[in-house]
Amino acid sequence: MITNPVPSPAAVARQWFLAHSDLDDLIQALRKAGRIVIGPTVRDGAIVNDEIQSAADLPAGVRDEQTAGRYRLAERSDERVFGYTVGPTPWKRFTFPPILPIATAHVSGSFGFEQPKIVAPQLAFLGVRACEIAALGMQDRVFLGSPFTDEDFRARRKAALIVAVQCTTCSSTCFCSSMGTGPEVRSGYDILLTEIDEGFVVQAGSPAGAAIVAHLPTRRPTHAETGAAVDVVEAVRTQIGEPLPIAGIDQRLKRQLDNPRWSVVAERCVECGNCTMSCPTCFCTSVTERSDMEGRTSVTERQWDSCFDVNFARVAGGDFRARPRDRYRQWLTHKFSTWMDQFGSFGCVGCGRCITWCPVQIDVREELQAIAPVIQPIERPVAVEPVAASPGRYSLARLASVKEETEDTTTLSLTDLDPAFLGGRPGQFVMVALPAFPAVPISISRFRSNGIDLTIRAVGPTSTALVNLHPGAKVGVRGPLGTFWPIEDAYGRHAVVVAGGVGLSPLHGLVEALVANRDRFESVSLYYGSRTPEDQLFRDDLVAWSAGKSIDVAVTVDRAGPEWKGRVGVVTTLFDMMSCDCSRITAFVVGPERMMQASVQSLISKGVPPERINVSMERHMECGIGLCGHCQTGPYFVCKDGPVFRLSELGDLYVREGI
Amino acid sequence: MASTGKAVRPRVAVAKFASCDGCQLTLLDLEDKLLEIVTRFDIVEFPEATSRHSPGPYDVVFVEGSISAPEHLDQIKALRKQARVLVTIGACATAGGIQAMRNWADHDAYRAAIYEHPEWVESLAMATAVSDHVKVDAELRGCPIDGGQLLELLTSVLVGRRPQIREEVVCRECKRKGIVCIVVASGEACMGPVTSSGCNALCPTYGRGCYGCFGPRIGANAKSWSAGLMRSGRPPEEVWRLFAGFTGYAEPFRSVLTELGKAKG
Repeated sequence: MITNPVPSPAAVARQWFLAHSDLDDLIQALRKAGRIVIGPTVRDGAIVNDEIQSAADLPAGVRDEQTAGRYRLAERSDERVFGYTVGPTPWKRFTFPPILPIATAHVSGSFGFEQPKIVAPQLAFLGVRACEIAALGMQDRVFLGSPFTDEDFRARRKAALIVAVQCTTCSSTCFCSSMGTGPEVRSGYDILLTEIDEGFVVQAGSPAGAAIVAHLPTRRPTHAETGAAVDVVEAVRTQIGEPLPIAGIDQRLKRQLDNPRWSVVAERCVECGNCTMSCPTCFCTSVTERSDMEGRTSVTERQWDSCFDVNFARVAGGDFRARPRDRYRQWLTHKFSTWMDQFGSFGCVGCGRCITWCPVQIDVREELQAIAPVIQPIERPVAVEPVAASPGRYSLARLASVKEETEDTTTLSLTDLDPAFLGGRPGQFVMVALPAFPAVPISISRFRSNGIDLTIRAVGPTSTALVNLHPGAKVGVRGPLGTFWPIEDAYGRHAVVVAGGVGLSPLHGLVEALVANRDRFESVSLYYGSRTPEDQLFRDDLVAWSAGKSIDVAVTVDRAGPEWKGRVGVVTTLFDMMSCDCSRITAFVVGPERMMQASVQSLISKGVPPERINVSMERHMECGIGLCGHCQTGPYFVCKDGPVFRLSELGDLYVREGI
Repeated sequence: MASTGKAVRPRVAVAKFASCDGCQLTLLDLEDKLLEIVTRFDIVEFPEATSRHSPGPYDVVFVEGSISAPEHLDQIKALRKQARVLVTIGACATAGGIQAMRNWADHDAYRAAIYEHPEWVESLAMATAVSDHVKVDAELRGCPIDGGQLLELLTSVLVGRRPQIREEVVCRECKRKGIVCIVVASGEACMGPVTSSGCNALCPTYGRGCYGCFGPRIGANAKSWSAGLMRSGRPPEEVWRLFAGFTGYAEPFRSVLTELGKAKG
């Protein structure tokens, strides 16, 4: 591995001042040391990095304006030479050439393969920015960080002397501050220049750099000059701000592999590969064989290639990334997720070239935030401290009354319980136990002034024993547990509750809360589907809600006898009745997995944002407090981190394990 | 086919339909390779170079030009029967060429507007690619074709391997050459993002937008690119002209042109 030069504390402490008029002395000193100087120069309407002869070739008084898909040069009001950001030429062009012969082969005379001699010219890179130093380091890890190395790269990298420059301005496309690579240069340079009004504050970062600086007509900088050099970089950091919320993006992306946005961006992407070609870290190549007409001698040429190329993942039997969205996802997830797994850092330095040089103006920052948004925690009331929150501990409650809802579902009203339960919120659940029966998680279907209701379908031994209890019986309870419906998330919006079968039970308390706070919402609707009319829960409430004006209730059944006059069909068939602006819906969905999946897909296709769709996940739970491991799904324990989730928090985890 | 020995040279024929002969000239322009080529291949038909004729069968037939006149329909089928390998060369043969612009127009009106005696001119209402009529084994794109690609194809016939001709986007060649993107930096109209490579980014190298003469590259997102060109302020007529050049009748350019045609009325 090449280790970037790390400046010794003494060298950092040592600073010099070089006047603007003496900058050419630096270029000539580098040339005299036998180096070809590659630096910024104006060509074809851009500041490119190319061979320069003297300071006269530098872009004095020129600045660049960059936005997505647009790059223009403009005049500066001063004569600064580094008063621009990054141009179209990544430095990899000189350490990792776009076209390189890597082997020759012959069958005439003898048979064999030969590698060309590595010729690495002595170069000096002038004007390397912090993000670009980071990019060189990333390619170091790719090409030199494993047992298999690219020796041509190693030679070129070693032969390049780095004259870094602090950024004193930024573009709208810059996001180094988010990627942690800039704007200030901290290491990885031989010489570091900071341009201020009068000239340059100069630092040496290596003996080779110090040797060059020793030849320059420098003087000691004043305190004002060293202070200005610090301030100018700080000002750039403030100007860039924090354009991309990056924390956890690698994990967030992994949960969004099926996000519909991949298709949206792929429809726009023309797959020109300009992003990958101008990216300072992209390293993909392909080889081409060139031979004489008889195939007796041949040359293998390595060329920059791109994962956007339609043939890049092709094998004889077909293509592993056949669709444009597969290729876009490959690129973006490599840069921001799987590169981390492979090389221990992001594959992006935030230089913004992929944004500027995209001819269809795709901004990678926008795509990332759309595909894998940071879930802004919405202010929610803190959940009440649960009681008996350790395995085996239970608080006692008394069964006040029993109400049969349907043939197999019964509501138990509990009272005489710990006041903590009354402070619970709709969506939460309790672990309920009887002696000799294993505890089961039951969601709270109603909060009363003196107790809570649990609506239970008799499907197992414990639930059957529970529904057969008589008023006055004691039960063990632990809770209230888990997350609850973010009712505040629907304030000022259309609150839509979608329930399937017994899924209405965890939603019942929510509907009551929505009705009680009706004026906080634009509208409130309930869509409820059950197998048959006889399977409907809370029929009295459904009738009362339908009669009132505060909530629109629509019900459907899968099948019914002739006496049923209502709708027949799955719950999503009711969605045609939605007449509001769907982007302003906040949805709450519970039911069988398949019903939830269909409902969620339908809501998304109607334009409901994924972060506004809340679901309650059902999983095997034994402890209810994140200790037993049964309900673990991706990064979550459903009992503790759920059961209520925003769809955007779940990403691909949702319905991945569907029943 | 490579190792059949020097005694048996592959028989090569060059045939032309509606075309300007520029692609045939590309073969003649391989000056320093010509001697080697005729040493290794028996070129028995080549209208641009010789009036000698020789009946088939042929090992390789290079076909230039689009199918544009009634007699072409039978000729190309007969030629196919005589060809072991049939290679179309150039924009006319591979996409219909510039003459395919009439495919969107009133053929009879065009003919009457141009020729004094339109009744003497026998032509089809549509100019079409050879592959619309017979099976094609390989295509060399461009207007005209690239000499390097032609040489590689001949070489691959001798060596017995798949031609090492990368079908990629023009932008890739531009970036490797270090050309500053003229779309982004100068706002030029350029067909590079949807066009197949092979010219080594000839036009952008000289600051001009790509004309698309190598035709739509595999997987070209022509729909997005036409939208992008219009987003940058170009009216549908101008975008229509960009796509309708040398290879406009090849999909997916053709679909874009049909849509744009509706837009511009």
